[in-house]
Amino acid sequence: MVGYVGKQKKEAAGTVGRKMTDIVIECRNLWKIYGKITAVKDVSLKVKECEIKLIFGPSGSGKSTFLRCLAMLTPPTKGDVFLRGERLTREGVDLNKARARIGFVFQHIWLFRHLTALGNVELALRRVLKLPKWEAREKAMQVLRDVKMEEWAHHYPAQLSGGQQQRVGIARALVRNPDIILLDEPTSALDPELTGEVIDTLRDLAKKGTTMLIVSHEMPFAREVADEMMFFDEGTIVETGPPELFFTNPKSERAKKFMARLIKRTKRE
Amino acid sequence: MEFSLILNLIVTGLITSVEITMFGALTGLALGILLAIGDIYGGRIISTIIRFYVEFFRGTPIVIQLFIFYYTIPTMLNTIIDGFTVGLLVFGLNSAAYQKGYIKGAIEAVFEDQMTAALSIGLSKVKAIFYVILPQALRLVIPAWGNEFSSLAKSTAAILLIGVRDLTGAGRTIADQTFRILETWGFIALIYLTWITIIMKILDVLYEKVKIPGIEIVA
Repeated sequence: MVGYVGKQKKEAAGTVGRKMTDIVIECRNLWKIYGKITAVKDVSLKVKECEIKLIFGPSGSGKSTFLRCLAMLTPPTKGDVFLRGERLTREGVDLNKARARIGFVFQHIWLFRHLTALGNVELALRRVLKLPKWEAREKAMQVLRDVKMEEWAHHYPAQLSGGQQQRVGIARALVRNPDIILLDEPTSALDPELTGEVIDTLRDLAKKGTTMLIVSHEMPFAREVADEMMFFDEGTIVETGPPELFFTNPKSERAKKFMARLIKRTKRE
Repeated sequence: MEFSLILNLIVTGLITSVEITMFGALTGLALGILLAIGDIYGGRIISTIIRFYVEFFRGTPIVIQLFIFYYTIPTMLNTIIDGFTVGLLVFGLNSAAYQKGYIKGAIEAVFEDQMTAALSIGLSKVKAIFYVILPQALRLVIPAWGNEFSSLAKSTAAILLIGVRDLTGAGRTIADQTFRILETWGFIALIYLTWITIIMKILDVLYEKVKIPGIEIVA
């Protein structure tokens, strides 16, 4: 399965004329400190074109904060973030422009409640990329079709199930053709029976070669699509390696314990 | 007193009352939005100035505010402002102080997650307020706005004290000249009741019309 996804990814990279060795996003020695609490502690990481990296670790360990620093939704206290080589942590960078190139999917979805599914997907095209109405509509519908939400395009968030909402959330992040999509536990706020449809959508993205950094505990999914996994604990990356490493024999004691718990839980389900 | 004269007084008075109320409510809305945004985003200094403004207009009687703008300020500036203009000004500024509170509350109710989501798709803060925050906050604020409107419509009667003949002023003239106190004030009250009720109904319809599932006040 891994090989299959990998092959398609290479083709996808070829079509847009980017090399798979290109670094899309990188952070160096990133810190986020709130008063006395250190949420993110000296994290460095690179994600290359078409790569899928997955972060997992106990709740409250700073994964979400880290992801938000990377998307510059909250400014890091120390350290640097680079998007395709451009330093975003420099004075005078147009952060709105930078954020427009990063897709973000939130744990609690956070769709715009006053807009339909289509309106949610369209908004950035209309007001950020300033596309004409017909073009924005066409593109938005195409992406909604990709996540199989076309039929629900004219429904408001409150009229959709959690899984449907999150697929719209993914479409909203995807529609601008961002350089990378950051996903913060996209399934953990959903009822267990609704996670499947969202995972299927993410699997489709993986096959198309979408560059992604995902925080998730969906282990079977991780094993299938991730090029690399990172165990995150107490604000920092404790261990990095291919999925097989974590499923067979993680080196760090903390990762070992956490994996054991996760696997036990997955079996129960 | 001739009937046509009475009718003329009432119509002119009503128009004056409606004008001042409408102007006050709409100016108050526009200014209230700006004050609310300024208070939330403007930093400490702007926010403090806004708070002083709001405290002044909410913490002093409307009659005193009218007197200050009709007598005190023009005297200080060595000029004269006519009563009607003072009415527009004071009721606009006064209503803004109240509406700022409602709007700020509504913005804070939608604020955090929606702002983060808006920034994440590349919108600037200003655009986020315009396209994401306000469309939701203003929907939430309509019922409170109705209350503010009805209270404003009634308090405009105070303008009589700086010599502007609004609907209440017309009533006083008619009552003084016809000595039909009971009928006059009963009728004037009925006119207030009617026009305020009409506007409140319109707001109800508007609220239903712009209502979006998921954005409503859950009592």
